[in-house]
Amino acid sequence: MILLVMVGTTLLVRFAPGYLSDAREMDARYAAVARAELSAEASHSITQMLRAELGGWMRGDSGVSREFNVPVWVLIRPRLAVSGRLLLRGIALAWALALCASLLSSAGRRPSLLWQAPAAILLAVPAAALATLCLLVNSGGPVLVMALLLAARDFKFLHRALRNAWLDPHVLQARAQGVRPRHLLRAHILPALLPQLGALASLSIVTALSALVPIEVIFNVPGLGELAWNAAINRDLPVLLAVTMIMAVGVTCASFGSHRTTAWREA
Amino acid sequence: MSLRRGALWFLLCLVLAAAAALCRPNASYSYQNREATLAGTSWRYPAGTDDLGRDRMVRVAAALLLSLVGSVAAAAITTAAAAGVGSLAAFGPAAVGWSAMLLCDVFLALPWMFLLMMVRSALPLTTSPAHSAAVTFLVLAALGWPACARAVYRGAVAQRTSGWMLHARATGLHPAQMVRHLLPNLLPLLIPQFLVSIPAFVIAEANLGALGLGISEPLPSWGGMLYELNNSAMLLETRWVFFPLALLVVVLLALEGTAAEA
Repeated sequence: MILLVMVGTTLLVRFAPGYLSDAREMDARYAAVARAELSAEASHSITQMLRAELGGWMRGDSGVSREFNVPVWVLIRPRLAVSGRLLLRGIALAWALALCASLLSSAGRRPSLLWQAPAAILLAVPAAALATLCLLVNSGGPVLVMALLLAARDFKFLHRALRNAWLDPHVLQARAQGVRPRHLLRAHILPALLPQLGALASLSIVTALSALVPIEVIFNVPGLGELAWNAAINRDLPVLLAVTMIMAVGVTCASFGSHRTTAWREA
Repeated sequence: MSLRRGALWFLLCLVLAAAAALCRPNASYSYQNREATLAGTSWRYPAGTDDLGRDRMVRVAAALLLSLVGSVAAAAITTAAAAGVGSLAAFGPAAVGWSAMLLCDVFLALPWMFLLMMVRSALPLTTSPAHSAAVTFLVLAALGWPACARAVYRGAVAQRTSGWMLHARATGLHPAQMVRHLLPNLLPLLIPQFLVSIPAFVIAEANLGALGLGISEPLPSWGGMLYELNNSAMLLETRWVFFPLALLVVVLLALEGTAAEA
């Protein structure tokens, strides 16, 4: 799967209409070098390019940045930890917020507007706009912005799933017989929701990766998202390709983990 | 009145108001009045002007129409592609179905934002604003179909084993005729997918534009106007800079409202 994702990403970049153009062409000092490099790249067939790209990745060589002229891995390595920390903290806080809110809202008799309205509004604000607003009012950092964006999405699913779970006939009967809600949650509701929670966790990672770029760019966090944005602005496609592949591998691993959770639960 | 109907009427009113704002005499989203940069509200400029002296109301109206038209078109392409791929995977040979779903999995494993940035940044340096708008929405459509195709595939597989389909096969109905009957049965799946895609594409375009990778100037876009929020000097001059963001949130809430009951 990861191999297919790498092939797909490489082909998408290769067939992009501006693949054989470089921002350095606009600067007279570097134009000749850039054109020479691009014409060398143009002479490679798709198969050669795929072989070089995939072979390089297998050997741990992800190419050379067009903008900085250093190996891409040198740029990526220090930023992996920064983005990883931001993602972990953001996702953890989002899950804590969403779980608390959905547990409180789903236990009520009617869907409460108090919980639904903020989630709906947060879902309607683009990540970039929310990050800019937080920066302008000087409250909340990148972790909070990411957590709010993810929590709104997670809450929507968790609220629905928990509400349905509370209305299951066996849960209703247990409540009628006086079983305490805390025990019901621990012993019946949460274990039954485990496959859905696994799927939601992988969805959270995908959403977090998409929100990573605007949040890191606006808060000036030196992570992978900012590197990708900088590479996109300067048409540094080797860097962009490498970051996209890392993200794709992350998403694939998260989906695999979610499938394994479901399989384990069903076994 | 149901939430969906109310949201639809509200959107229609907004579109009409935007069209009316664009039809005013001398209304131009690109005309720069350098003597009225960052102007406040007036009869001539109801929402003031930006730092280049362009009428903010006209630009917001144009951005609203462009975003809605582009997103609806992209959602239509996505839904049509998903219907085609999902039906083909369900009714075609097993190998075709397997390959189509594998392709969906590959696309679903690729993070949207990074792919969008990658394809958008790999456009030729000489791309015109109109082309950049078309390419942005086409790329959104090209990347948005796999999740929808998976849902359609599941629906189509359920239809394949349904009673009416078995009966139709047994009575010798031609596959082309079966497709004609299949599509109306898939509509309850396709309509929500179409409606859910529209706000997702509006947000994606706004995020791309806010990063400077969306629709090029002078064409107005939500993202382009959100980009203005980064200019703190402008924020001190006028609060109308927040107008596009407020309207975008309202539009997205209305779009979510239309999709909520689908």
